[in-house]
Amino acid sequence: MSAACHAPDSPRDSRAEVKPGDAVVALVGRPNSGKSSLYNALTGGDAHVGNYPGITVEILESDLELPSGARTTLADLPGLYSVEATVDASTDEGVARAFLDDVRSRGVPFAVMQVIDPTRLALGLRLTRELLRANVPLLVVLTHKDVLAAEGRALDIEALSGAIGARVVLVSTRDPSARATVLAAVDDRLRAGAEEAAGRGNFDPRRVVAMVLRDVGEAREKARRKRTERLDRLLLHPALGPFLFVGLMALLFAAVFLVADPASSLMDALIGKAKVGITGLLGTNLFTQFVTEGLLGGAGTVLAFMPQIVILTVALELLEASGYLARGAFLVDRLLRVLGLSGRSFLPLLMGHACAVPAISSTRIIRDPRERLTTILVLPLMTCSARLPTYGLVLAAFFSDRSPLFRAGLFVALYFAGILSGLLASSVLRRTATKGKGLPLVLEMPAYRVPQASVVARKAIGAGRRFLRDVGTTIVAASAVLWLLLTVHMPGVEVAPDRPKIEASVAASVGRAIEPVTRPAGFDWRMNVGLISSFGARELMVGTMGIIFGIDDAADNPAPLTAKLREAKRDNGAPLYGVRTGLALLAFFVLACQCLSTVAAIKRETNSLKWPAIVLGYTYALAYVAAVVVYQVGGLLGLG
Amino acid sequence: MSVALARASLGTRLRIAKVALDGEAAAWLSAVGLHDGESLVVLRRAVFGGPLHVRTSSGGEFAIGSEVAEHIEVEPEP
Repeated sequence: MSAACHAPDSPRDSRAEVKPGDAVVALVGRPNSGKSSLYNALTGGDAHVGNYPGITVEILESDLELPSGARTTLADLPGLYSVEATVDASTDEGVARAFLDDVRSRGVPFAVMQVIDPTRLALGLRLTRELLRANVPLLVVLTHKDVLAAEGRALDIEALSGAIGARVVLVSTRDPSARATVLAAVDDRLRAGAEEAAGRGNFDPRRVVAMVLRDVGEAREKARRKRTERLDRLLLHPALGPFLFVGLMALLFAAVFLVADPASSLMDALIGKAKVGITGLLGTNLFTQFVTEGLLGGAGTVLAFMPQIVILTVALELLEASGYLARGAFLVDRLLRVLGLSGRSFLPLLMGHACAVPAISSTRIIRDPRERLTTILVLPLMTCSARLPTYGLVLAAFFSDRSPLFRAGLFVALYFAGILSGLLASSVLRRTATKGKGLPLVLEMPAYRVPQASVVARKAIGAGRRFLRDVGTTIVAASAVLWLLLTVHMPGVEVAPDRPKIEASVAASVGRAIEPVTRPAGFDWRMNVGLISSFGARELMVGTMGIIFGIDDAADNPAPLTAKLREAKRDNGAPLYGVRTGLALLAFFVLACQCLSTVAAIKRETNSLKWPAIVLGYTYALAYVAAVVVYQVGGLLGLG
Repeated sequence: MSVALARASLGTRLRIAKVALDGEAAAWLSAVGLHDGESLVVLRRAVFGGPLHVRTSSGGEFAIGSEVAEHIEVEPEP
């Protein structure tokens, strides 16, 4: 697992408590080794994001007091297989290597704590051998003591420690005493310092395992393996497996999708109450409007996303920790290979149909950095739920004289247009912007396990907090700017007193100024203002068009607006909008990334401004070209 | 007689004879647990030429993409 393994941080920054000379302990281990559970057991879930130069993924840290009273920073590195084989600097292995180099260069007391799943000891010891060869002060923590005992196997810790030449402890992270045992061992390791002889980097992991691990009870390990085999026979069955996978994903999709509605209504009601309260307190004036429409409007959008983010994080954690996620990737990998992606991209792409924002966070499950970036870049093309009101309005306004079957067909076609454009974009991106050698597809299939509720809860709470802080602030700021554009009077522009005020706004002036550019797509300045407002969130298009055409509450009841749009005439009496305008608008909405929340999420996940800029650039360019082509071809075909 | 893992038969005990990938990729695979001399069994194949599900003698189970499996040569374990 990539940085994905990490729970998002809590906003509490306790870094200040650690003095510059305090020790650093790096937590490393293979994916699924029990690293997250150990981190949780040691820190109680506390985490903040560390600051390491040259490292773009999050390294979560927590500050701990050791039994001796010394303080140390525990840094949770991404799951990794090797510190020697760094296929790419942006892979988890590359990140870990850069981290270790950086900490060593600081000259502070330092140790590496490697977590190993003792049921796969020989695999874990391969990394141990590399760490010893790298000459790092090492402490090996074997987790899953309980699983080992349940399997009727005994591990000779002293023999293991002697064979590899490093300190070893065996714990169960579900056992409350694990924390004290591990912290005492960390304390001892740090006090022994770098002078303690480094272990042997030349042992044969399988020989060591044969020497230290033995069966003491019944052959229960076989029973466990049988259970996993039985489950695999069902879940990876060539016909039944994909069917079950699709069913599970559909359930998850429905949960994320359906939760949006009641949650949004609740948030709307709360924000509505806050608006009434603030208006009562400050009176009706421009400043009050700014606070209620600009700031609270943005805050409402942020809060409406929260339940989706939390539910999706919980679901992802359950899938990952239970061992099913790797199985799902196994099932759908072939399908996505055609497009330069792998099985791990499936879940984020599916989630993108509910909402791109949580889907972008969920790309953390994709281990290959290039593939992850590609998935992030195409996610805005998936038909998310926010596109639906606009599709509904356009279909009602321009196609109400057609049969319901025609409109339903068009609706389905819009969904598929989103998927198809996403797949094409991914195929092009893999040959251009995200070109390069990917990681070979080798996924570890962990044994099925029952997820630990406290770990899942910590990650869900962290994801919610992080979303509020990182994405939420961007959304509120952008919403405030858009409100100003749509409200502030453009100097020198006069409109008749009976016209809506929005016609004199800065946005209307911009809309008129870009009319020559948008005319080939059939968009006049009114439509342009709608598009400017929907830059923040595409569902705002309907409400803004309502304001321009003097309809109150068009977002909740679009029927009067659709009538106005149909009846609107140019100066020469010709209809202002026709069927082909509707089709061009739909083409634009399918492709353009009209969602600041998505842009903010991309900025957050890629840690750069470059990629959100590229997403905006390429989706708007595609949207414009598609709208022009549709409008012009529509004209040639004689559509109104 | 070695064959590509991608075409190996299910259920038989095999040994990795050679990983014919470039140095970095081979080193990474080795760190993961797929290296010369490692014994494994192919448990199943995903449909339409999808990944292989293998179990190694070190206790690991892996899904291996078919294009990677093309570059892993295996032979029957003696």
